[in-house]
Amino acid sequence: MLEGITIQIIDDELQIRRLLDITLSAIGAKTILSENARQGLIDAATYNPSLIILDLGLPDIDGQQVLKMLREWYTRPIIILSVRSSEDEIISALDNGANDFLGKPFRTGELQARIRATLRSNENKADLTVLEFEHITIDLANHSVRKSNEVIRLTATEFSLLALFAKNAGRVLTHQYILKEVWGHTYMQQSQYLRVFVAQLRKKLEENPSKPKLLITESGIGYRFGE
Amino acid sequence: MGLNNFKTLFKSGFIQYLISVISIGITALACIPLAKTQGYHVVSFLLLFAVSLLSIFLTVGPVVLASTVAAIIWNFFFIPPHLTFHIDKTEDILIFGLFFIIALINGVMHSRIRNQEKITREREQRTHALFQLTKELSVASGINEVIKIAGHHTFNYFHFTPVFLIQNENNALELISDLRHEDALTDVELEIAKNVHNTSVISITEIKSKSLPRKCIIQPMIGSKINPGVVIIRSDEIYDNLPSNLWDAFLTQISNALEREFLAEMAQKVRFLDESDRLYKTLFNSISHEFRIPVATIMGAADSLLNESNNPQVQNALAHEILTASLRLNRLIENLLNMSRLQSGHLSLRLDWYDLNDLFNKVSNDLKDELQPFLFEIEYSDNIPLVKIDFGLMEQVLYNILLNATQYSKPGTKIRLTAAFDEENLILSISDQGVGFHHERINHAFDTFYRANQNKTGGLGLGLSISRGFVEAHKGQIQVNNNEDGGACFVIKLPTELPSFITF
Repeated sequence: MLEGITIQIIDDELQIRRLLDITLSAIGAKTILSENARQGLIDAATYNPSLIILDLGLPDIDGQQVLKMLREWYTRPIIILSVRSSEDEIISALDNGANDFLGKPFRTGELQARIRATLRSNENKADLTVLEFEHITIDLANHSVRKSNEVIRLTATEFSLLALFAKNAGRVLTHQYILKEVWGHTYMQQSQYLRVFVAQLRKKLEENPSKPKLLITESGIGYRFGE
Repeated sequence: MGLNNFKTLFKSGFIQYLISVISIGITALACIPLAKTQGYHVVSFLLLFAVSLLSIFLTVGPVVLASTVAAIIWNFFFIPPHLTFHIDKTEDILIFGLFFIIALINGVMHSRIRNQEKITREREQRTHALFQLTKELSVASGINEVIKIAGHHTFNYFHFTPVFLIQNENNALELISDLRHEDALTDVELEIAKNVHNTSVISITEIKSKSLPRKCIIQPMIGSKINPGVVIIRSDEIYDNLPSNLWDAFLTQISNALEREFLAEMAQKVRFLDESDRLYKTLFNSISHEFRIPVATIMGAADSLLNESNNPQVQNALAHEILTASLRLNRLIENLLNMSRLQSGHLSLRLDWYDLNDLFNKVSNDLKDELQPFLFEIEYSDNIPLVKIDFGLMEQVLYNILLNATQYSKPGTKIRLTAAFDEENLILSISDQGVGFHHERINHAFDTFYRANQNKTGGLGLGLSISRGFVEAHKGQIQVNNNEDGGACFVIKLPTELPSFITF
């Protein structure tokens, strides 16, 4: 349930706005409906919603541009909901500051789950030094990881990768972003490093490394940790 | 030059007559001492021999002259009484007569044989030229190549460069040969050419050009069904010296080859149109059918939800129907989009290193519901390195093939996905225990709009075709075979690059 949460929907399609209004109101959220980018920017400034659902194909301003404009001041989560769901489009939306991305057509159940996860991961941003995910406990200060109370040995790179994932739990991180954060700019094309380390992390952390539940692959885009 | 002058002089005749007379004269002179010792009969043989020799080199006229002169000389100088034409002995009269006849026959026969030989040689040359032309034309493909061969052979055999004007798609004449600037076609020539092409009657016209006035011969090329164009010969001297039979045969061959190319081109166009027409019809028929079914389901179910009892169980079931129908619609749209991506030719690969495990997980997760009734197995060795692929495309490839497997197999049967490496390829195989492919139609499995069972399963028949397109975009191959114990087995071979490190 999303009681007390205000969600702004910026989408030019009346039917989509109506559908989201119905389904989100039904679970207790308050909705603000904006039918174009200009209206959306004004509404966002007026109501400062807890979360924005943004379409990329808006009639007046391109969605990616709207995203950048919102991100100049708006720090709460933005979820992209668009038919423009090519890998390139998703990656640039994530680079422009979107928290998550869902292609149209979508299942409302999936959207609700993404909304919840995004809101939660945003709360998590408090200065916690110990993060817990199912059976995994990560102590960022002491650089230690436990799996069901058993200490797991990680190399330095593995740990910084895991720390990056944990701090951004629930959020999709693009390959480029991860490579830049963990290995630095010069390694941004070396995605094979990332694959190998992800495979190693999975072997150490997952119950069943071939069916990962913690370190999820977002095909062609990146990884999502937790949830 | 000197030799050539001599040759023409030799051919001109006068010199031949001269040679024949002189040769006989010299022979007679040489015979004078011989006649004194051996008698005049021997001289006749030597003279006959000289005439025979001459007949090898000379034409009939000079040979006849030679034999006449030889007979006269023999009679006048050698047969007694000397220095008269009178012959005393009857036997000498007989010998003289025979001598004259033999010399004549000898010379004439020789000439005839030589003539025959010359004709035969010429005929053979012509046959050979025609044969060469025909042979090359028969394997030529395309109008330009036919024209090139025709021009080349004409030059080789007739020593001139013909100008071909060929009918194009719009029935207008088009210049095919490359002309130097100064040889460019004049408007008059073009006008006549059009006329010749339309009437199929040869035209010989005086052209007043800047340089010399010349005659221009424009000949129609006549095929059995269509007339492919005209040929322009820009000199009456050349035209008059053409061996007309052979030239006509040449033209007929060229016309036929051109006609053949025309017809082939036309047939191909018709086939292409037919094919696109068929695709268009199939697409529209199946699209309207395939879209209507889920839309009908959604309409019906939503309507029921609005109008009928609030039984939660019924509502739930109806909602499920709506969901299933919309997923099916979504799949259709996805396939149509992928097909248009493929056919637009602008498919660019986003190659990157990926873990196969991620690919398999993603696909089996997307098809979770569809694979549920089956025993789905994924098998590959643990040490498979990373592969460089376009993740999104390969996901579609596997998705379509696996979905296909679920549609043609009975619940409870096995569906296996395996991965292996040979030296240069990643080999993926998807094997099911379903109905397999009819052996006559297995080759059509990847054809666009092909569906193994027209009624049973939904879909446009695009899935496998898209899979093949995406695999080929990776420069890979996809094949399908029937398993020995039933069911189909798809094998995908992708050329792979190994990552620039082995382990960490």
